[in-house]
Amino acid sequence: MNGKQKNASFVKKAWSVIMSRREVGTIIPLIIMVIVISSVNIKFLAIGNLLDVLRTATYSFIVAIALTFLMITGGMDLSIGAVTSFGGVVTGFALVAGIPVPVAILLGILSGAVVGLIKAFFVIGLDLPPFIVTLGIQYAINGLINVLTEGMAITGFPQSFKEIGQGAIFDKLYFTIIIAVVLGVIFHIILTKSKFGRRLIAAGGNSETAYLAGINVTRIKMGMHVLVSVFAALAGVLMASRFASALPAVGSGTELTIMASVIIGGTSTFGGSGSIWGTAIGCLLLAVITNGLVLMRVSSYWQNLIFGIILLLSIVLDKYRQKTSEKNA
Amino acid sequence: MSESILEMRNVTKTFPGVKALSNVNLDLKKGEILGICGENGAGKSTLMKVLSGSFSANQYEGDILINGKEVRFDSVATAQSYGIEMVYQEINMLMMCTVAENIFINNIPGEGKFVDFKKLFKDTQELLDYAGLTDIYPKEIAHNLNSGQMAMVSLLRAYAKNPKVLVLDEPTGALTNNEVDILMRILNELRDKGVSCIYISHKLEEIYRICDRVMVMRDGEVVGTHLINEVREDELIEEMIGRKVVNLYPKESVEIGEEVFRVEDIVVPHPTIKNRNIVDHVSFKLYKGEILGIGGLVGAGRSEILGAIFGQIKKGVSKKVFVKGREVTINSPADAMEVGIGFVTEERKQNGIIWMLSIKDNIVLASLNDLPGKVFVDNKVEESRAQELYDQLHIKAPSINTKVVSLSGGNQQKVVISKWLLKKPDILLIDEPTRGIDVGAKAEIYKLMNELTQSGISIIMVSSDMPELVNMSDRCLVISNGRITGELSKEEISDTAVMKAAIM
Repeated sequence: MNGKQKNASFVKKAWSVIMSRREVGTIIPLIIMVIVISSVNIKFLAIGNLLDVLRTATYSFIVAIALTFLMITGGMDLSIGAVTSFGGVVTGFALVAGIPVPVAILLGILSGAVVGLIKAFFVIGLDLPPFIVTLGIQYAINGLINVLTEGMAITGFPQSFKEIGQGAIFDKLYFTIIIAVVLGVIFHIILTKSKFGRRLIAAGGNSETAYLAGINVTRIKMGMHVLVSVFAALAGVLMASRFASALPAVGSGTELTIMASVIIGGTSTFGGSGSIWGTAIGCLLLAVITNGLVLMRVSSYWQNLIFGIILLLSIVLDKYRQKTSEKNA
Repeated sequence: MSESILEMRNVTKTFPGVKALSNVNLDLKKGEILGICGENGAGKSTLMKVLSGSFSANQYEGDILINGKEVRFDSVATAQSYGIEMVYQEINMLMMCTVAENIFINNIPGEGKFVDFKKLFKDTQELLDYAGLTDIYPKEIAHNLNSGQMAMVSLLRAYAKNPKVLVLDEPTGALTNNEVDILMRILNELRDKGVSCIYISHKLEEIYRICDRVMVMRDGEVVGTHLINEVREDELIEEMIGRKVVNLYPKESVEIGEEVFRVEDIVVPHPTIKNRNIVDHVSFKLYKGEILGIGGLVGAGRSEILGAIFGQIKKGVSKKVFVKGREVTINSPADAMEVGIGFVTEERKQNGIIWMLSIKDNIVLASLNDLPGKVFVDNKVEESRAQELYDQLHIKAPSINTKVVSLSGGNQQKVVISKWLLKKPDILLIDEPTRGIDVGAKAEIYKLMNELTQSGISIIMVSSDMPELVNMSDRCLVISNGRITGELSKEEISDTAVMKAAIM
């Protein structure tokens, strides 16, 4: 082997090592995007704008944390967008009815848990394909919201409720950012350091092996379906607080961008691997792109086209990553 | 019955690391039925894959001649164009289509692009009448048939194509006695019409009943071909087994202690055949420090016995399990582990390892509850325990953090065994301990099994590897059709004795 070949094989090896590191595939495009956007419009780098980007990212990140766990078990969920809207609407109705704020919030989150249980029953209990089940639930929940609200936003919330989504310390460090970061750290620790995390990854990596090792795979998978819906409803409650109104379609369309964030962040759609770090970077990337498009004065009609392409690219990357890690291990 | 319709010359097929067929010659005369028998893994199925075109001509060495002319098969379709039809052991049906569509799948009658349903159903009815299968209707959906009926429909599918050579692989596995009679009658009539047939079977009784000649295969080679009336059954068995004198088996005798484990009346319903049990009222005991071998043919119900004990198979299972004399309830693998049972399964990739995880994470998987820490894992403890087993079993890998997917089969098997050793079971179930692993790793695994029994662990080992079964077992049960057909003491175990009981 001569020097040139050696060099080439080293580069090849280094490349595949880099590509098999989960987060790297995400952080490079993030840096590129930041450079591109800030060179077009320097306002992007203003602290105020950056914190706004962060604030936008938090809502999808909260849902994405739970979705990461669900996808590690090999699951998926298209109903998260609808459940986000639903959580906000339920809390909104409760508040308008004069129910105390903490109870109203709890009711919103509980509504997510109920949807989650129904979903778990269909997908895991009856062993039906999650794509169709969660698509059906998405339609049913959106329909239910329309029936209940007749398409109108619910407003007239007490100030103490609005404070959660709008309040901040040091002027612009919003409470929601803090909530998202705390949840992210907790779930990162659960995933990497706890025994439950090990069981979760094993259940997704090979559910038969995990079952034969005494792990209750069914309970874990069901639990993750409930968790995703609970977190989606929580995000909806926080959004209702921020906008001071529960919008019936506030979550529509977020299911695909959130799923894209998780996949871009290195969580495998095949189950068995994923990271909260990666998901955080994935969410940031999409928030930066959204913000950048606005700053670069690109028509918002382009957004869906771009997100669709990003989702497709992320899944190609996922397949590629799976292949290289199978080969090099 | 003189000219050859089919010849296979010097067929050699190599898989990475294994020679599955070496220099096999086969000669099939017009209008004869040639039986092929041999142990599991002797190369019968591989040979038939060559013949049926499943392997294309450039995937093996050797020649195939039909009527003396050399032919090359690129696909199953080419082989069929020469009149070679194969009836597979596994069921392959279009479950949602009718019996008629299944039979005429590739030659549906009709003008142009339209199906002539009238003719389709009429032809099917004629075929069923000819066969005497009065309980099958042409318009029945295949899904509603039992597996015996499905097997008969598969046979008629091949029959309907007027083959010149019909290949049957273990055709009677799912059949009732009546259906076997029908099969034999049809084969006899085909022979009279000049059709040739290759009949693969473990069951020597059937070979004697229907075949003109029999060819015995072992380890990918043909060890003998005989006219059926010139060979005795025990001669065939001897040829199938061969005389292998490799001593891989340093079996050390261990003092056998008291009873540690007993099962009574395990019943497991057959997954596809109604009203039949794949495990049929099996009871046995296991003593401390003993290796209890379980032998028999593939499909006899051996793996299902282990699966039922461990709680892997649950549907319709009934059983009584006693550990150290006390009756225990096992509804899931977690229950079985609770009472000190471990299970090294046969299908490593499917349910033994988790490929994207490291050696360490695979090893600790079954012991997460036992390791220190209530909520969090203690990485140091995990690593040191995994490292001990990694060293003890000589797992060959860069480190305990290597992903198991990159290991060889033998090392993956060691990881799976390590997983259960860490759990420290009293009773270890092992299904095919050395399948698909090289000789060196085999010897290491046998040595390990010796060490385990010396430390007081008792082992139940299902094995299709005859020398392994004969040499490693302290006692051996032989299973045939879901029942125990033989119990052999250490002195009685021999390949011949096992084989005799297995084909009962």
